[in-house]
Amino acid sequence: MLLEWMMNGHAILYTGVTLAFWSTILIVGICYTIFDLGFRFDVAWFLTETSPFMWANLGIGLAISLSVVGAAWGIYITGSSIIGGGVKAPRIKTKNLVSIIFCEAVAIYGIIMAIVISNMAENFTGTTPETIGARNYQAGYSMFGAGLTVGFSNLFCGICVGIVGSGAALADAQNASLFVKILIVEIFGSAIGLFGVIVAILQTSKVKMGD
Amino acid sequence: MAESKNFSNGSIMAFIFFFAAFLASGSSTAQVPFLMWSTKSLPSLTSPPAGHITSMEELAAYLTPVFGSGSNTVLLFLQDKLSKDDFTLFGGVFGNKEESAFRNLEAALQSSSSSVSFPALEWTGESAIPTLLQQKLGASPLLVDPDTLSHLSLNTSTSNLLIINLPYCSDSLKSCKEVLSNNDEIIGKVLSSLKAKDVSYTAAYTGLQPSQAILKSSLLNQQVGRTLLQAPAADVKAPIIFSNTTGFPCIMLWAQNLSISPPGSTDFIDLAQENATVIGSMCNSTNSELVLTYVNYILRFAMSQRFYPVSARNWFTLDSVQVQVHSSGQTASFVGSHGIYAPAEYSFHCQSVSSVRDTLLVPANQNATQWKLNFVDFQIQGFSLANGTNFSYASDCASFFTAGIWMGLVTSLLMLLIFVYGLHMIMQLNTMDRFDDPKGPTISVPQSD
Repeated sequence: MLLEWMMNGHAILYTGVTLAFWSTILIVGICYTIFDLGFRFDVAWFLTETSPFMWANLGIGLAISLSVVGAAWGIYITGSSIIGGGVKAPRIKTKNLVSIIFCEAVAIYGIIMAIVISNMAENFTGTTPETIGARNYQAGYSMFGAGLTVGFSNLFCGICVGIVGSGAALADAQNASLFVKILIVEIFGSAIGLFGVIVAILQTSKVKMGD
Repeated sequence: MAESKNFSNGSIMAFIFFFAAFLASGSSTAQVPFLMWSTKSLPSLTSPPAGHITSMEELAAYLTPVFGSGSNTVLLFLQDKLSKDDFTLFGGVFGNKEESAFRNLEAALQSSSSSVSFPALEWTGESAIPTLLQQKLGASPLLVDPDTLSHLSLNTSTSNLLIINLPYCSDSLKSCKEVLSNNDEIIGKVLSSLKAKDVSYTAAYTGLQPSQAILKSSLLNQQVGRTLLQAPAADVKAPIIFSNTTGFPCIMLWAQNLSISPPGSTDFIDLAQENATVIGSMCNSTNSELVLTYVNYILRFAMSQRFYPVSARNWFTLDSVQVQVHSSGQTASFVGSHGIYAPAEYSFHCQSVSSVRDTLLVPANQNATQWKLNFVDFQIQGFSLANGTNFSYASDCASFFTAGIWMGLVTSLLMLLIFVYGLHMIMQLNTMDRFDDPKGPTISVPQSD
């Protein structure tokens, strides 16, 4: 059975890529150790030499994109259930759009945070770590962290709301009184997206980029 | 297992002895090539295996049927020295046929009715071959000048042995080819005059002694082995060394350029071209300072090393570079500890240490902002020098991946990861076919609510 699973093209591809990646890391690490060049592996150099702008923009990008992925996934799950259930019970169509709106809200959180974070990116003069200054580094890293926070929270919130909404639609198709109860579960699910937004705002509250 | 024990020491020694003798025999026997061609047909000769040295007895045995009957005219071209290497060196054998010095000889060999060659004939003495030919022909040798041959009348009823002496080159290699080409022309002239006389002849070309063609050429610095075509690198100047009180080198500095530009002037003065004294330098286990005193300026390099607990090793930094003008005493001081560092066991090397571009040297006082420093191909070591005057391994300022490369890699790998994840998700979407029943009734969709 393992052989049948291995015959799957995806599994072979992923196994190969993982093997290549880990063996590259292993061999590079061994070479660095053998030649006593371990001092060249310098995480601090990486963190101080890479521009804070890279981190800031990665944060902004991840904020919007991960939120949109969550929203899209949720809408895909709910939407397909509504459409499917609506074939036999057309009355569910209008009421269940509320689930779709909960999913969409997650994407709106994401874009709002992306705009808020991107407004904090300012120009600074300075090319060496001393001249850039600690505050600019803090700004870059905070923006990256905030973007990650809001992105991943919204991602899982969107999926959660989507699956619950799908269940709500199908239950509603069976029995109209069930919908309101399940809506409460959905509201709890969408609260977690809001948590992510609040924490991200807290993270970027002290950000001040520039000279 | 039992057989191997029978390999006594004696048989191994015998084997080694035979092997050495075999090798020695090949290298110590003198040999000359012997080429023979004739207007009549010579008996065919099976080509000897490579490296086989024909002995005089074998040659005598071969020549007996050739000159046994009737009268023969033998023309012997005796070059002072000849060996196989002459043909290799000057015979145009590497595809450069037009540079061959043996053109007439080759033409004669090819156009003759038959020709035979002994690539390696054992050489036992200068007169061995003429004596042998004299014996076989029963005629005394006649020394002939190439010019007088046309006037000579040959008596074809008796055997004739005509010997033509050809010179060999003297020590200068350049004329060797010319000498051999001249010899070749002489051979051509003689053969054509003999042809004009319409005489049946046998001609031979050999040497009185083996020549030392290869040895001679290698003595003249003609490189026979493989050589690089790249121009030889110019000599590298020595590094500036400061030795401590016990005489061992303590600080070493090498730079291609040590260019400084004082305030007010725009061009750089290269201090590396001038001579410097290292008086005033000091070094101990934690601090080193190299003081270079030039005619107008003084350069000070201050380094320190200590133990850093996070990486758990000793690192040294070039803390400051100071330029001082002799006359006015004003000093410009630059800080280099941010960028100029290396583990204390190694040296530091950087292609460009400057305060103007890729600033590794940061101005530290007001004066310094108007100075400009630019050190090219700079290597310095202030600690852990062993007794020799070599730098330790050079920890270079340029890393394998620059910061920009890392940033690009991080971003692109992240996007690649996202792409692969999305692709995976799409690829495992399946159409729902659990309730597909091709033979069942199709579903009916009500038109009304």
